[in-house]
Amino acid sequence: MSPGTVAGVLLLGLVLPWLLVRLDIGNFLVVLLILFFMQAVVAQSWNLIMGYGGIYSFAQVALFAIGGWTTGVLAHSLGWNPFASILFAPVVATAAALLVGLPTLRLRGTYVVLLTLAFHELTRVFAITGPRFISGGGYGLTIVPGFPLGNVSNDQRLIFLYYIAMAIFALATFVIWRVIYSPLGVAVTALRDSETYAVSRGINQFRVRLLLFGISAFFTGLAGGYMTHYSTGISTSVFDLSRLIDLLAMIVIGGWGTFVGPILGAGIVIGLDQVLEGIGDYRALAEGLIVALIAVFAPQGLWPTLRRIYDQYLGPEPAEPQQAAEAETESSVGGE
Amino acid sequence: MHNTQLVQAVWGGILFGSVYGLMALGLTLVWGAVRLLNLAHGAIFIVGAYTAYWVVSTLHLPILIALPVGVLAAAIFAAIMHVLFIRPVIGKAGFDNATLVATVGLSISVSAAVLIIFNPEYKVVPPVLGGSHTMVGVQITNQGLLVIATSLALFGLVYVFLTYSRQGMAIRAVSQQRDAASLMAIPVVRTYGVVIAISGALAGLAGVLLSPFFFLNPSSGFNPMIQALIVTIFGGLGSVRGALVAGFVLGIFESFVEVYLGVAWALPGVFLLIILMLILRPNGLFGIGDVRRL
Repeated sequence: MSPGTVAGVLLLGLVLPWLLVRLDIGNFLVVLLILFFMQAVVAQSWNLIMGYGGIYSFAQVALFAIGGWTTGVLAHSLGWNPFASILFAPVVATAAALLVGLPTLRLRGTYVVLLTLAFHELTRVFAITGPRFISGGGYGLTIVPGFPLGNVSNDQRLIFLYYIAMAIFALATFVIWRVIYSPLGVAVTALRDSETYAVSRGINQFRVRLLLFGISAFFTGLAGGYMTHYSTGISTSVFDLSRLIDLLAMIVIGGWGTFVGPILGAGIVIGLDQVLEGIGDYRALAEGLIVALIAVFAPQGLWPTLRRIYDQYLGPEPAEPQQAAEAETESSVGGE
Repeated sequence: MHNTQLVQAVWGGILFGSVYGLMALGLTLVWGAVRLLNLAHGAIFIVGAYTAYWVVSTLHLPILIALPVGVLAAAIFAAIMHVLFIRPVIGKAGFDNATLVATVGLSISVSAAVLIIFNPEYKVVPPVLGGSHTMVGVQITNQGLLVIATSLALFGLVYVFLTYSRQGMAIRAVSQQRDAASLMAIPVVRTYGVVIAISGALAGLAGVLLSPFFFLNPSSGFNPMIQALIVTIFGGLGSVRGALVAGFVLGIFESFVEVYLGVAWALPGVFLLIILMLILRPNGLFGIGDVRRL
């Protein structure tokens, strides 16, 4: 992506809410965008460890919840300013992830599935039945102070919330992009594609995975913290399997193991969710089936397909065969 | 008082153990033969349970008829799952990925479908055997005794089947060394289907027998499946013997923890135990196949 495109998108993102609040439906769209930003962050984080890292962790939702509960408890029970307490959400989430990761990431994929699922269950049960001070009972935390943004109009407040969400999204996207296109990212994909060879080249599998797991947890916790203060509460329904499948759908539909995939997927799932509002319960049914079908019959997801279409019809022409052949002979003679 | 607690713990342990064993048996068979982690196991469980419920409540047939119908429905569902979602990716590089995601997706779909067809209200499935005895203040239900007996009988049956029948030997061959088995003219993909169907039947049976113990709802399959996963891994993936032993070990452990430390400690306790096992002996008690430690 060229710097120009990035700058353009950023500018659009900055200006958009001001335009949208003028429309009747605009406020609703801004809310959707905020949701999109947060879901995209979590989806990207999950894709980082699952799509790129090949770590089949199902702890993502639990980490999101841990982040949310941390900031909720700090703000509600200890009276902290949300802007301060939200800084602790990613920290606690990362700590929890490292705790889970220590025994789990040493083992083969199947065991990671089990242990993270068990962790999800444990966190859920703790959230419901834990000490009142922390858990808030069966409905979750319901009285969490929102962000103190001063005495501003509803529209203004919404725009501020939007900017915070966008900032988090931009930060997460940037960091994940840097991680993927860094030696760490290359190491991770090497491990995913050919573990034995990567290990033989000196990549410490456990440390790389732990690091990735931590990064993923950091942003997931941050998103959880934001959503808690945005919604002034966090409910135990966040642990529902339907949330998990939503995230999974974003990754699977958008493009498993690609950078843009989860972002695209988040947009699609949230967009479709609104469009198909009327079908209610059938939504989960359709979602599950679509995820299953795509996983089996079109595992790369949408983004690689779009990329392919773009390259084929709109991309630059490939190099001349003549030049390519010359370059080949040159490199085969000159090199090793 | 002590006696009651002890008997409660022991009874609970044996009952849980049988339940876990039943659930884990199908899971471990499928892993052993197909190297597939079937996260739709819970979904098949509720297919069996809800089918039995439907037979009893809509067709007004006795539970004794509903039981085999439920088991059959579960087996058929598992077979369809195999044909649609497993078979197309067998042998391909993305098998683990694809089947993991597909089984999770299916799990949700089944939950949602069941929610739509029946409503979210808790359903009551009648037990096959009603009534109970009381022993030292502990209620011992006949259904519980049936579950224990069925579980042990099934383990015996599966063992005999795997050891002495042709199909069973084929399954064992495929579990041990797939390529050699196919060289011996064993139809590998069809064997996969058979194993998955058998596993489905076992899950369905567990569903019908166990649902009288709790109120049936669309998310009933999740917890039994997690417990089955824990037992399967504890006993060693792919080992029938392991599933049986691990089921009882974990069942008794959990029961004692529940009775003496409180229900809240049950799941964390089991979690700790499994982590300990995975650190000390990642293969589980009797696991087959290699487990790479890092």
